Amino acid sequence: MAYTRKDVGNLTREERRRFVDALLTIKRRGEYDDFVRTHIRYFTADGENGLRPAHMAPSFLPWHRKFLLELERALRRVDSSVTVPYWDWTRHRTTTSVPWREDLMGGNGRRSDQQVTTGPFAYAHGNWTLREGVTDGEFLTRDLGRARAPIQLPTKSELEWALKDPVYDVAPWDSTARKGFRNKLEGWGTGRGSASWLNHNRVHRWVGGVMLGGASVNDPIFWLHHAFIDLQWTRWQRRHRGARYLPATPPGRGDAQRGRIVARHQKLPPWDVTPDELEDMGQIYRYA
Amino acid sequence: MVVGIGGVPVETGTGTSTTSTASGVGTVSTRRTCGTVGAATVRTGVGPGAAATAAAAAAGTSRPAGSTRREATRRLLASAVAAAMAPVVVGASRPARPGDTTFEETYRGRRIRGVWRHRSSGVKAGEWHVTVDGRPLHLMRRADGTWLSLVDHYQSYRTPLEAARGAVDELGPGQRLRDLAPGPVGEELHRLLMGGAHGGVHA
Ligand SMILES: [Cu+2]
Repeated sequence: MAYTRKDVGNLTREERRRFVDALLTIKRRGEYDDFVRTHIRYFTADGENGLRPAHMAPSFLPWHRKFLLELERALRRVDSSVTVPYWDWTRHRTTTSVPWREDLMGGNGRRSDQQVTTGPFAYAHGNWTLREGVTDGEFLTRDLGRARAPIQLPTKSELEWALKDPVYDVAPWDSTARKGFRNKLEGWGTGRGSASWLNHNRVHRWVGGVMLGGASVNDPIFWLHHAFIDLQWTRWQRRHRGARYLPATPPGRGDAQRGRIVARHQKLPPWDVTPDELEDMGQIYRYA
Repeated sequence: MVVGIGGVPVETGTGTSTTSTASGVGTVSTRRTCGTVGAATVRTGVGPGAAATAAAAAAGTSRPAGSTRREATRRLLASAVAAAMAPVVVGASRPARPGDTTFEETYRGRRIRGVWRHRSSGVKAGEWHVTVDGRPLHLMRRADGTWLSLVDHYQSYRTPLEAARGAVDELGPGQRLRDLAPGPVGEELHRLLMGGAHGGVHA
């Protein structure tokens, strides 16, 4: 039977404890760091020649969906009652909102070095030492809202702007695509500075610290954020009945994107699964 | 000017290139850049064919300075002319316009260096190798020609130098970059995908 992913604000105290404990367990066993590594390795930018499975590409959504499923599976091996909650950042918008509770993600980083010193992932507790990262810093860092030059989390209307686009993705299928639900949600905007980070990207920016870099998975808020992104895909499908993942077939010979994006029925590295197989998760989980 | 490399249209700058010679440069040092063997070449920016070089430089893509041993080995095997061990002349405080071959500056107490390394074979014209305090900073190119770093993944900058400054902005006090090996696998996957297997890519 399908399990349920809940709004993080609706978890009971017991559910919060079990979720955090499962995370700490897979971290202790070394499994968690594999996820951090995978995210770093599969980030290819669109000005490079490589295949882009995870970002700046149509498969941004199915790649992260599968990534979340793998994490959730690891957590559920530890405790079968656990599911990944989602962070609705259109509702939980402040630096002291529910995700940042002492018994969930812990709070903001301190001013001097952005080190998170509260909650289960505080370095001093010894349970969350960063081993795979962009820097040699061993502690989790955050800069909620970006103190130096404050920004806001994306709003409901910004999210709505993405959701109402009836087409999943459009050529050139990268970070420069002006239309299509995928890039509007992933959030590669035009221009410079604050205005150019939308939805998904803006949230990474708002959290700051390790969430800004390739090793963003080091902050467990990553999963709550991506569960909410994943929920948007489901909402979009419900709203635009029959709309599918695009492109349906690989770009043709001579197309600059050939070999660089994953089409609907192609395997999504590093897994043996296609976007087509990831479009409907109804048998596995649903969102409450 | 718009140049297509690997089919990616990229804007290149029109600014003048600077030469990497000793004239007008404070400290000049010769660095060995990579542990692999090959023909040594010195690149000096402006000269005959400099426009093409500059365009290629701006259109090129970047990789981490510390590419993995495996990748380095494969590159050696793949190419008879492995031009990786280029002594490069590094000048001080030069601007990082597209087409420059080196830049170097101290920004917020951190030493930033960038070297454009020409590659004579393969799909790429070469790559930028940027370091912060001597540690490689992984840079990536966006399709619109801007640059991202592994430290700051969700914002792009006009030049490698600006991306390096952005990375420095985000580095906490006392934190140093970590050499990530192995790095991203995109190119490897691309080769596998184009190598015949119909979509069956396994990492
Ligand atoms: Cu993300």
